[in-house]
Amino acid sequence: MLGGILDDLLTSPSTGPCITATRHFPPRPPVLVPFPASLDPRIGEALRARGIGELYSHQARVWELIEKGHHVVVVTPTASGKTLCYNLPALQALVQQPDARVLYLFPTKALAQDQLAELEELARQLPETRMFTYDGDTPQDARRAVRARANLVLTNPDMLHSGILPHHTKWATLFQNLRYVVIDELHAYRGVFGSHLANVLRRLRRICRHYGSAPQFIMASATIANPGELARRLTGEPVEEIAQSGAPTGDKVFVCYNPPVVNPELGIRAPYLGEAAKLGIRFLREKIATIVFAQSRLATEVLLSAIKGGVADKTGDSGIVRGYRGGYLPTRRRAVEKGLRAGEVLGVVSTNALELGVDIGHLDVAVLAGYPGGIASLWQQAGRAGRRSGFSVAVFVATSAPLDQFMITHPEYLFGTPPEHARVNPDNPFILVSHLKCAAFELPIADTERFGDLDVRRFLAALEDEGVLHHTGRNWHWSAETYPADHTSLRTVTTDNFVVIDTTARDEKQTKRRQIIAEVDWGSAFATIYPKAIYLVESEPYEVQALHFREDEEKVAYVKRVAVDYFTDAISAKGVWILQHLAEAPRPAYLAEQGEVLVAEKVVGFKKIKMGTLENVGSGEVELPQQEKQTTAAWLTLSPEVLARVSPSREELIDGLRAVTYLLHHLAPIFLLCDIRDLGSWLGDTTPATSGVAATRESAKRRLMEAEHFNPTIYLYDSHAGGIGLAEHIFEILPDLLRRGLETLEACACRAGCPSCVGPVNEVGRGAKATAQALLRALTD
Amino acid sequence: MTRQSLDDLRHVIRRIETRRPPRAAPRPVEEVLGGELVDTGEGQLVVVRREFPLSYRHGRQPLAAALEAPLDLLGVLARTETPLEDARRLLFLDAETTGLAGGTGTYPFLVGAGWLEEDRLILIQHFMRDFDDEPALLAALRPLIERASGVVTFNGTAFDLPLLETRFILARRRWPVALAHLDLLRPARRMWTSCFADCRLATLEREVIGVEREDDVAGGLIPALYFEFLRSRRAAPLARVLAHNRDDILTLVGLLGWFGGALAAPAELSATDLAGLGRLWEPVDLERSLECYHAALGAGLADEPAQAVRMRLAWWEKRRARWDSARSLWEAAARHMVFDPRPWEELAKFHEHRRRDFATARAIVDDALGLAEGAGVSSRVREAFAYRRARLDRRLLARG
Repeated sequence: MLGGILDDLLTSPSTGPCITATRHFPPRPPVLVPFPASLDPRIGEALRARGIGELYSHQARVWELIEKGHHVVVVTPTASGKTLCYNLPALQALVQQPDARVLYLFPTKALAQDQLAELEELARQLPETRMFTYDGDTPQDARRAVRARANLVLTNPDMLHSGILPHHTKWATLFQNLRYVVIDELHAYRGVFGSHLANVLRRLRRICRHYGSAPQFIMASATIANPGELARRLTGEPVEEIAQSGAPTGDKVFVCYNPPVVNPELGIRAPYLGEAAKLGIRFLREKIATIVFAQSRLATEVLLSAIKGGVADKTGDSGIVRGYRGGYLPTRRRAVEKGLRAGEVLGVVSTNALELGVDIGHLDVAVLAGYPGGIASLWQQAGRAGRRSGFSVAVFVATSAPLDQFMITHPEYLFGTPPEHARVNPDNPFILVSHLKCAAFELPIADTERFGDLDVRRFLAALEDEGVLHHTGRNWHWSAETYPADHTSLRTVTTDNFVVIDTTARDEKQTKRRQIIAEVDWGSAFATIYPKAIYLVESEPYEVQALHFREDEEKVAYVKRVAVDYFTDAISAKGVWILQHLAEAPRPAYLAEQGEVLVAEKVVGFKKIKMGTLENVGSGEVELPQQEKQTTAAWLTLSPEVLARVSPSREELIDGLRAVTYLLHHLAPIFLLCDIRDLGSWLGDTTPATSGVAATRESAKRRLMEAEHFNPTIYLYDSHAGGIGLAEHIFEILPDLLRRGLETLEACACRAGCPSCVGPVNEVGRGAKATAQALLRALTD
Repeated sequence: MTRQSLDDLRHVIRRIETRRPPRAAPRPVEEVLGGELVDTGEGQLVVVRREFPLSYRHGRQPLAAALEAPLDLLGVLARTETPLEDARRLLFLDAETTGLAGGTGTYPFLVGAGWLEEDRLILIQHFMRDFDDEPALLAALRPLIERASGVVTFNGTAFDLPLLETRFILARRRWPVALAHLDLLRPARRMWTSCFADCRLATLEREVIGVEREDDVAGGLIPALYFEFLRSRRAAPLARVLAHNRDDILTLVGLLGWFGGALAAPAELSATDLAGLGRLWEPVDLERSLECYHAALGAGLADEPAQAVRMRLAWWEKRRARWDSARSLWEAAARHMVFDPRPWEELAKFHEHRRRDFATARAIVDDALGLAEGAGVSSRVREAFAYRRARLDRRLLARG
C-alpha cells in the first residue's frame, strides 16, 4: 500500500516533476554483544524476562566507560535503545548499593512519566528500586513521602531549579549519596534553555560538593554536530562521546518535494501548506499512520483544518486526525499521545513539540511541511516515521523561502551536511546573574569560590549594591525576603505565561465559568493574542476579546468562539540601536562591527487572511506596548562611495539593501547551523537610539529616506536576549556569507526577485534584485 | 531585563570597583539592645536575658498557670507525635527571620527561647549581628533544645521548626528527630476559628488573654528592619523587634496556661469558649465534645454560633439515632431568627422517612416555603422544598 502510493508519487505527471531527490536508506542489521560480566545477575534476569538477551554494541560501550568512572554522552538515532544505556548503570547502582541515589532529568514532565512506566516494567523484580517522579504534578502531601522513599527520582530542570535545589536540606540523603545524574534529550538544551541548564548544573554540582558527593553524568542526545562539546559545556566536566549505534534500522525512503511553480514570472510556487495537506490526506485516506510537521503554531492549525476537511468521511468524523503543539493543555496532549499509541488516532499535525522522545508508538509516514530550521530537526522529524523494522517514508515539502529552496535544490547538501551545533552560553550575563542569586540563596558563596570555572566576584559585588547579597566574613549571603528561583524561568527570559480563557459559555449561561483552553508564553503573546486576533485551537477559531498584560494583572487573554473564515497575522514595528561596540573589521567597501544592540518590537496591527485562498481580506490596528531586549549583533555599514557607485537614488538603494538583508538573514543559518528563528535582521542606520521608537517597514523606509546622513546599516542579531554566541560567529564569516549571497542571487532563475532569493517582488520592489546584485558585487570585490 | 537595568549593573560594578567607603564604628549592638556578647565556643553572639516572676501577668493571664496545664490532654488535643511531659522543662520558642519564603536562603536572625525555672520565667534571645554569627546561634540553641522535654511554638510545624532544622543540616549539625512539639496553632484553630477574623497570635492574645501591645512592629516589616541594620549597623530600630519577639514568647506561655485552665475547669468558661472546647474535643472524645456543646447552649450561646452548635449537635445525635434529642435541636434551630433551611429540611425528612407522618412533614415543608419566600433564599432551595412537597402530596394521595 505505502509502496504503491510512493511509486505513484514518483511517476505520476502531476507530482513526479516536483520530486527533486529521493534517498533510500537500506535496513541495517543489529550489532549485538553479550551482557557484560559485571552486570548484576538480577538485572540480567530482568532483561531476559523482557526478551532482551544481548545488548547493542553502544549500550555495552556506555557500560564500559561508566565503569571506568567517565562522564558519558551517547548519541544515537530514534528507537536505538538509548534509554537502556543509562537505565543499566542506574539500576546496577541501586541494586548493589542500598544507599545509592540517582537523579533523572527530562525536558518535560510527560517524558518523565513515560520513562517511569518503562523503568517500572524493567524493575518489576528488583525490589531495591524505589522510583518516583517529583515535579509540578506531584501533590503537596505526597512530596515528603517521595523525598523519604525514592532512590531514583525523575524530574525536570525547572523543578530541580525551583523546587529541589533551594530546599536541598530536605534532600540531604539524596545529595550525600548521589551516584548518577541522567540527562536525556540533551539536544533539547540549547540556546536559552541550555544556557539556563548549564547554570542549574553548576548549582547542582556546588550542592553535591557541599554534601561530599561527585555524581557521574550519563547523557543521551539525538544526533547533533557537537554532542560532546554540548555535554561538556552543560556539565563543566570532561565527557566521553559514543556515537556508533549498534541498533538495527528499518527500510526507509526520504523524498524531497518542491511544490510546482505556478507563476514563473514572479517565481511563485503552489502554497507548500496546500501541497503538504494533499500528501497527508493521500496517506491518511489509505489508513496509513502519518505525522505532519508544521513549522509554526499557525501553520499547524491551517494544515490541521485542511487535512481534517480532506479525510472527513460522509459523517464528517475527522477525529482520527488531531493537532498537537505547545500551548495546548497537557490533558489534551496526553489524550492525543494515548490515541496515537492505541491506534485510535491515525494522523497528527504537530509543531516540533513531537520531535522530542514522547512515546507515540509507530508511524509509517512523516510529512515535513517546510524545512524545520535545522538538519538535526529534519532527521528527528523524519525519524518519527519507521522504527526498527518495516518500510517507512519521509517527505520534505519545501516552502519558497531561500533556505528551503537552497536545500531542496542542493540535496547533496541536505543529505551530506552534518547536523547543527547546539549552542549554549552559560556566561550570558542575564542568565548568569539570575543563577548567582539562586546559588547564594542555596549556600553562601565563598570569596574564593568560582561558579563553574568563572570568577564572579564583580557580579556578586553588583548584587550586593542592589541589596540582595550581603558580604560578611569570607562569604556572600542571600539577604532579601524573596525566593529568587521563583523569578527565573528556565524556558524564557521572562517568567509570565498568558492563559487563554474561553468566555463563550459564560455569556450563554451567565455562569462564571473560566475555561482555560491554552497557554501562551510572554515572548509570543503580543504577536498571537492581541485584541481582535483570531486564535486557533485544533483549528477552531476564537476571537480575542481582551488581553490583560499589565504588571499588576493576572496575564490573561479572554476569547470567544466565533464562526469566521479568516485568520490574522500580526503587523509589527521594529527598531535596532547600537549600545556598545566590541569589535570591528574595516574593509574597502564596508565596515563590519560586532557588539551589543537594543532591539525593540511592537505589534501595531494585523492583516486578516482568508483560510484556503490565503488572500488578504482586511486589517485592523492594535494598541500594545513596545517590547525591548538587549542582545548581541553583527552589523555592516556601507561606505558612501559604494552606495554612490551603485545608484544615485536613495529609494532604489534602500530597496536593494532590504533585499540583501533578507537574503543574508535567510542564508546565515546554513553557515551557523542554527535555526532561522534564532536570528533577527533589520535595515537601519547607525544613529544612536534617542527615543527608541520602533517603526513599521514603511515608516522605517521613510526615516531612512529623510535622514540627514544616509548611512544604512544591515543588522543581524541573536534572537535570544543577551545572545548565545551567534553574532560573534556571523561577524567572523561575514565575507563568506556575502559571497554565498551573491552566488544564490545569480543562480536564481526569477527575473526581479522571488521568495527564494531576495523576497517577493511586491514586497521588495521591482529593481531590488538588480540593485542587490550590484551591492553584493561591490561588497565582495 | 531592559537596557536600563543592564546599564545600572555596569554602572554599579564600576562604582564598587573604585570605592568602598569605610564604615564608621557605631555603638556595640549588645549595648544598644541591652544584652551581652557571649562566647559559645563557636563564635560570639548577642544574648539578651530577661526574667519574669511566675506571678507576672501577661494580659489577664498569670505565667504560673502554664505549670498546671495537663500536658497529656493537650498533647492528645494537639495531636503531638511524641508525648509531652514536665511543663518545667518545656522550651517556648519563636524565631524572627529574614523572610517567609522558606528554603535554604531564609535565616532566623533572632531566636527567642523561654522556660520556667523555679519561680521565674527565663527568656533568652539570641541575636545574629551578621550572617557569620549563625554557628554561634546554633551552638547556643542546641543545648537548650536538647535538655528540653519538648518545644512549644505557634505555627512551628509549618515554619519555625523546619527552618531551624534546615539551618542545623546546613551547618552539618544533628537536629533531634523525635523532638516533642506542641504547636498551639492547631488547638487554637479549632478553638477559635469561627470567633475571630483570623487566628493570628496577635489576635488571640488580644481577644483571649487581653494583651494590648504598644508600639508593636508589624511582622511583615521585620526582615526589612534587619537588612537595614546589616547595612547601617544601627541597632536601635531593632529594639522593637526584640520586644515583639519577647511578647510572642510571653503569649505562648499565656496561651498554654489558658488552655490548661480551660481544660481543668470548663465550668468557668464563657459560652463561646465552651463551644470552642466542643470543637477541640470533637475528633478526640465525642462524649466530652457533646457535653461542651450542650453546656455552651445552656450557658446562653446565641445567634450564629448557637445555630452552628445546634446543627453540629443534631448531626451527631442523628448519627447515633437519638431522634428525640435531634428533633428538639432541629426545632430549636428552625426558630432561629434568620431563616435557615437546613433544620426545616431535616425535620421534614425526619417526619417523612422516620415517623412516616406525611401530613406533618407536608405542613413543615409548607411553613418552610412560606418563610423562604420572604427570606430571599436561593431558588435552588425553594425548588428543593417544592419538589419535596409534590412528592409528599403524591404519597398522601396514594395512602388515600
